Amino acid sequence: MSDSEKPLTATVPQKVASTDSVSSSRRKLLKGSGLALAGAGLYGVTPFMGPWKHNHLWAQSGQKKPLVIGLTMDASGQYAASGAMERLGAMMAIKEFNDKGGVLGRRIEAIHIDTETTPATGSRVAERMITRNEATFLIGAVHSGVSNAISQVAQKYGTIFLNTNSSSPTEAGKDCHRTKFVWDGNGTNFSNAIVKNAIKSSGRNWVLLTNDYVWGHTTSKATRAIVEANGGKIVEELLVPQNTRDFSSYLLKLQQLKPNVVATAVGGDDIKALRQQVVQLKMNERMAWINNQQDWPDVYGLGPEAIFGVFGTTWYWRLELPGVKEFVAAYQKQFPGMAIRVPGNVYHNGYMATRELLRCTEEAGTTNNIAVIKKLEGRKMSALDRLQHFDAWMDPVTHQCQQTIYMATYNDKPAEKDDIFKILTQADPKDVQDMAAQGACKLESYDATPSYDA
Amino acid sequence: MDFLSQLLPHLVNGVSLGLLFALIALGFMLIVGVMETINLAHGSLFALGMYFALFFVAPSLGWFPALQAWYMGLSIEVRYLVALILAPVFVGIFGMLLELCLRRTYGRDPLYGLLLTFGAALVIEEGIRVVWGSSEKQLALPQAISGAFLLGDLIYSKYRFFASGFAILMILLLWLFLQKTPYGAIIKAGAHDSEMVRALGINLSRLRLFVFGLGVALAAIAGVVMAPIWGIRPHVGVDAVVPAFLIIVLGGVGSLWGAVIAGLMVGMVVGLTGAYASEWSLMSMYLLFIAVVTFRSRGLFGKKSVLDV
Repeated sequence: MSDSEKPLTATVPQKVASTDSVSSSRRKLLKGSGLALAGAGLYGVTPFMGPWKHNHLWAQSGQKKPLVIGLTMDASGQYAASGAMERLGAMMAIKEFNDKGGVLGRRIEAIHIDTETTPATGSRVAERMITRNEATFLIGAVHSGVSNAISQVAQKYGTIFLNTNSSSPTEAGKDCHRTKFVWDGNGTNFSNAIVKNAIKSSGRNWVLLTNDYVWGHTTSKATRAIVEANGGKIVEELLVPQNTRDFSSYLLKLQQLKPNVVATAVGGDDIKALRQQVVQLKMNERMAWINNQQDWPDVYGLGPEAIFGVFGTTWYWRLELPGVKEFVAAYQKQFPGMAIRVPGNVYHNGYMATRELLRCTEEAGTTNNIAVIKKLEGRKMSALDRLQHFDAWMDPVTHQCQQTIYMATYNDKPAEKDDIFKILTQADPKDVQDMAAQGACKLESYDATPSYDA
Repeated sequence: MDFLSQLLPHLVNGVSLGLLFALIALGFMLIVGVMETINLAHGSLFALGMYFALFFVAPSLGWFPALQAWYMGLSIEVRYLVALILAPVFVGIFGMLLELCLRRTYGRDPLYGLLLTFGAALVIEEGIRVVWGSSEKQLALPQAISGAFLLGDLIYSKYRFFASGFAILMILLLWLFLQKTPYGAIIKAGAHDSEMVRALGINLSRLRLFVFGLGVALAAIAGVVMAPIWGIRPHVGVDAVVPAFLIIVLGGVGSLWGAVIAGLMVGMVVGLTGAYASEWSLMSMYLLFIAVVTFRSRGLFGKKSVLDV
């Protein structure tokens, strides 16, 4: 087993000792099982090492050293489904470059280790990829806590890290870093796009249903501020611990509170379970529901009746824009037989982020991190190129990609099976920008950022 | 009065939730109690029950289109009933095969059994991914038990009441089986002193095979029942095995009523904190566990300390 294939976590004791005493061995059994259960969510945290192998044969073959990219996507835990999709997006972009001969004449080699939707694992994986696998860039995150953890390690080494799909406003706010670039719309962008209209159309009394971690808190905070600024009232905020599967007590409480609007900042498997239980109670018909952002893998396969309310997204596979059909066809050709038959926003972000990073590296003519960072900062990306309605740009102050925000709801007249979203409107990134992030983000100076050439 | 009327729905919800937790823990309790094996594959087998149910409700029989058309022509009520019966049977048989593998670990350090079931959990979960894919699935339900009904000013889920009633039925059936049948007596005797059972001429291997199969079938039944509430995904088993473990230790290892009461306590605590201190709703079950085990290490109804099982 090579280094890159070794599991990072030991959820069961490694040493198995014999014992003469039955009671002692039973005690060990219980202790061991307790350890195993407590150990980071049991077998759901299986480290996935990917089929790639990082080795040093290039040194002997006379070929150019490959450019190693560390994919820090979740393969288990709450965001396993989204992690898998953004990984496909990144791999597609890498494949396209490798088909053209790589970057700067160097083949790109991707390694993936499961970050388990766990911040501590994210730190460990990032440290390992940088120091042992010699990763030049790190790409991938859905969970804001994981992203923040990875970015701290990346900044320590000066390694460029792309936060592809984590959308807490803090990511490009107080937790921003010179080496981190955030590619998803954040909670404030989505709230800016949705809330005003919802107050007008649905009412002033709101309840916030908030996933109890950084993304949930910061997103709900942004929603609260916009609701209150527009004359609405937050009746109550209910915190939802991560990995909540039973929402019955929350739904009873909501019925007692009788709000006009329920604004959820709940993601991953939690939102899937919530949606199913809301539909069972037909509560989607009793009050208006807004989900700040609805990631495609979290809603795909749930069935049309479970897609209720209004939600934000950054991309949809049936946008009537040039290039979208080809983009979808390329996904289907490259990844045939996937359970998710068409790409969504998470894949799109993973692809666009990776492609832009590799383009910047090409344009910089070097892998020097500072040179690539400078290419990324302020970068303009045309709407046509990104398959969206408005031009996008990488904010040089916050390192967040400012892009089109779409409002969507369930499509009651689908053109085909997977046509489950109806896009209601699209917001120009200029109109929904997170202005607070600009004040909160203090990027490290170039001098304070370690420089390297991979 | 107003407070009480506000509280009452949450108490009812807590009981309902508790019954479902107890149902999830039953199979785990049986296997630990009789075989002293911590079955870490319990959650994956719970998930497998969900997927088998999915198969029996809406099978994909591409090679036999005529058979598929005939089967899908049956009413959803019939298909759901078939799923409720056959999914646990098939998963139970699978569990028996797993028990055959476990035999090599008997009499050895218990960690071997732990590792084997841990490995089995990984294999089952990945197997589910390979066969059914990793995306979310939904189980169709008969009309009679889906949807909601209005009671007072509040809406309740019909299915949740059905699931709670079903959990009560399963608990009673298991109790009757253990208390009133000769097989139950043998199982209890096996839990108490397996060597004596063997000395009396009872085939201990067969007993273990049967108990493991039954425990696994119960896990699958819980999976079928929980599928419409939690949703169906390959890693859903993790959500089941942790509370199941906690409940059997809290209730006392090997105690049926201990598991039921512990399940109800956990359900009540989770339900009430969900309503009044929502950020504590998951943590509350662990705090309850710590509080009880600190003062009563053998759990509520255990006959000996949890460390001396």
